[in-house]
Amino acid sequence: MDIATRQRIVEATYTCVARWGLAKTTVEDAAREAGLSRATVYRYFPGGREELINAVVSWQYQAFFIRLYEEVSGATSIEEVLERGLPFARRSLVEHEVLQMVLRTEPDVLLPKLTVESNRTFGMISSFLEPYLREHGLAQGVDVHEAADFLARMILSHIATPGRWDFDDPAQVSQLVRAEMLAGATGIPGPDRPGVR
Amino acid sequence: MGATQLALLEGGGRSAPVPVPVPVAGVGARADRTPQRVRIVDAALRCVASQGTSRPTVDDVARTAGCSRATVYRVFPGGKEAILAAVVETETARLFSSLGVSMGEATSLEDVLVSGIVDAAGTIAAHEALSYVLANEPEVLLPHLAFDHMDGLLETASAFAAPFLRRWLAGEDAERVAQWTVRIVISYLSCPSEHFDLADRVAVRRLVRTFVMPGIEALRVDSADALSNVPLAAEFFERSTLSNEGRIS
Repeated sequence: MDIATRQRIVEATYTCVARWGLAKTTVEDAAREAGLSRATVYRYFPGGREELINAVVSWQYQAFFIRLYEEVSGATSIEEVLERGLPFARRSLVEHEVLQMVLRTEPDVLLPKLTVESNRTFGMISSFLEPYLREHGLAQGVDVHEAADFLARMILSHIATPGRWDFDDPAQVSQLVRAEMLAGATGIPGPDRPGVR
Repeated sequence: MGATQLALLEGGGRSAPVPVPVPVAGVGARADRTPQRVRIVDAALRCVASQGTSRPTVDDVARTAGCSRATVYRVFPGGKEAILAAVVETETARLFSSLGVSMGEATSLEDVLVSGIVDAAGTIAAHEALSYVLANEPEVLLPHLAFDHMDGLLETASAFAAPFLRRWLAGEDAERVAQWTVRIVISYLSCPSEHFDLADRVAVRRLVRTFVMPGIEALRVDSADALSNVPLAAEFFERSTLSNEGRIS
């Protein structure tokens, strides 16, 4: 069992989903696309189709977080991480053709992962942010995990449904980040006020 | 509700009397709220609570309401779809009405938010029909919790909540905070957290104090900066973690 083969199967599955959609993608399709036997695929993914789909989702999440990390590298504050990261995340979501296609045509599989089963997503976002939060410092009496979880929830909510916020307007993004995300966690003040740690 | 009271609310007057629940568009006292219609909607609600939205037929609803199929179609020519829409409308109105009472009684901005969140969470969690649908037919509800459909939910819920906040917040701030609060409720309700149980008033107060009140302050500071030199209410500095000295320049 090697990683390269496992990855080959995951990417083949993704190709099938992109071509035929989620519901129509079977283990056999993935195997054929990967140039492997069905038995081999089941060896790597004993959970079958469901495990395959989860692996594809995980892979896409990971790829996103790597790109996000690149996007925000060099940011010198948590505000900057969010100010750069939010529009990037929103764009990534909107421009992800396969994701949008699946959400549109077969919402019942993915939509739960972005709503009622979001714990895993919150966990990933929290893990990403906690180091920045710790480095910045938290407002008095605020627990880092609680704060990271709140941040993760607000981030996912806003990138999925911006509502009245315009992510193309840096001033609005800045206000959103300060008020609806960081104010409580870090005590980020308004533009011209002294802060407190 | 009198035009004068509405005008006072609209003007954002902090001396406004206790805010009255603002009727959501399309909901409220209407001439067609006949007892017959109410019976049918009630019956439909009970059907959904036990069987969901796809299984019950118009016949089931008629039987439960104790009337004929023809009567149901007379009241709801649009059939099942129209009946379900009426159920949603009625239950939403019921929720807003009960929230209106507790939010209207609150004497501080923090209390309005805490009461609103706790009561909304409690009512929604205890709602049989909603619980059935969420457990058995989530595809009916989930589109309203994310992406385009959630926009509608945000707008409706915040249109209801904003007037209650206008006792303390100016115009657009009230709308913004209302939308933000609705997001928070939707998030913690749809995907429960180990950190904050929305049914627990103590936990909600901690959530509001820790994350929401500072955010409101930050939003108001931005509005104040935009208007420049508008004095902020003393109430906001009661538990402020920010320095009080000097004016905001």
